[in-house]
Amino acid sequence: MAEVLLEINNLKKTYEDGNEVLKDFSLTVKKGEVVSIIGPSGSGKTTVLRCATMLTPISGGSVAYIGKKALWEEDGKVCQASRQDMKEIKKCFGLVFQNFNLFPHYTVMQNIIDAPISVDKVPRQEAIERAKMLLERLGLSDKADHYPFRLSGGQQQRVSIARALALQPKVLFFDEPTSALDPELTAEVLKVIKQLAAEHMTMIIVTHEMQFAREVSDRIIFMEHGIVQAQGTPDELFDSDNARLRDFIGKFTS
Amino acid sequence: MQTSTMLSQLASGMLVSIEIFVLTLLFSLPLGLLVALGRMSKSRILSGIIKVYIAIMRGTPLMLQLIVVYFAPYYVFGINISARFRFTAVIIAFSINYAAYFAEIFRAGIQSISVGQWEAAQILGYTKTQTFFKIILVQVIQRIIPPVTNETITLVKDTSLSFVLSVAEMFTIAKQIGAREASIVPLMVAGLFYFVFNYVVAFGMEYFEKRMSYFR
Repeated sequence: MAEVLLEINNLKKTYEDGNEVLKDFSLTVKKGEVVSIIGPSGSGKTTVLRCATMLTPISGGSVAYIGKKALWEEDGKVCQASRQDMKEIKKCFGLVFQNFNLFPHYTVMQNIIDAPISVDKVPRQEAIERAKMLLERLGLSDKADHYPFRLSGGQQQRVSIARALALQPKVLFFDEPTSALDPELTAEVLKVIKQLAAEHMTMIIVTHEMQFAREVSDRIIFMEHGIVQAQGTPDELFDSDNARLRDFIGKFTS
Repeated sequence: MQTSTMLSQLASGMLVSIEIFVLTLLFSLPLGLLVALGRMSKSRILSGIIKVYIAIMRGTPLMLQLIVVYFAPYYVFGINISARFRFTAVIIAFSINYAAYFAEIFRAGIQSISVGQWEAAQILGYTKTQTFFKIILVQVIQRIIPPVTNETITLVKDTSLSFVLSVAEMFTIAKQIGAREASIVPLMVAGLFYFVFNYVVAFGMEYFEKRMSYFR
């Protein structure tokens, strides 16, 4: 049995304005699994990632990493792990953003090594060695000294993947990683994610790329109106007779 | 009066003007950053106090503020004011006045940085303080150079307001000589000095702006 890395139970999220984005979302991810979350805009996909990565506070339910509770509900109130535990929990995951969010005043190399050095206290030389290997793997070796603004969107997104990987997370989240890219650049980013999947990186990917999700995922989750409408292996989902799901997938793959 | 005597007197005033300028920048820029952070504080009380402070600094004449700062120790605390306090009062008044303006520039700059930068840093494990000093501040500085240049140029000219406290800077001296000699020349020379000073400041800031444009 592979180790359970992430466990989300009955996650709820209601924004201050009363908008109930997540009604009841549960997800368990084991080591080495690739899970894609698909669904129409406003279905709550991105909110799942934001809650799981603690960018957005949750309204109910629980989130745990490597068997350690991060957020949970007690007597109707949301509690969170102690500072020390939270620090360890936050090291478990990384997140790749839709619009990269690279640090513009840092070169590619600095973007990748700064967090390991100033957060994880990795010796500078070691951080550089690690970054060089990552850049090599992602085909960006010649860009190490460039500033982000000189790179294409696809290159920027690959750098942001390298930046996330440099901290050696156990789980990597992707929030619509290709939505800001044209088809050609999309392909180069998807290739990198596929490569990571082949290396058994545990990943949770919110995406609109249906064909990609089908190829890369062990499991696909279809969300709508803040709940999971269907989930299963790619083949199960793509051959499902759920009318809404067929309709949704059809729109993207035609 | 000989031209050379006049010039040497004006020159000594010029040094005082430059001193006021440099000291004011030295104090008001960091103070402005602190004020901006206070203004954006989650504490309603702190941000409220700061708002009032900024409103007073921007809403009343700087010349009046100079006078108030100079006489405050006497009227508020009953302390006898020595003549040497004039210069200190000028620096205090200029610093707290310019800090208010710089604070608003800093605030606009900080708020213009996308929330994605904060979020990316949070995910990578940076603390809030690390994020601010390592990630945000450099980007803010790059963006606020043009409005800061504006304020800096205004400050060069505003140093002349120190004449109300009879601090022997350029303008005070030019006015004295002008009155004594019944001549407009000293004031014209002073004007030329302010112009050249500002030309240098603008040039320097433009250079700094270029140096800071290595990223976008």
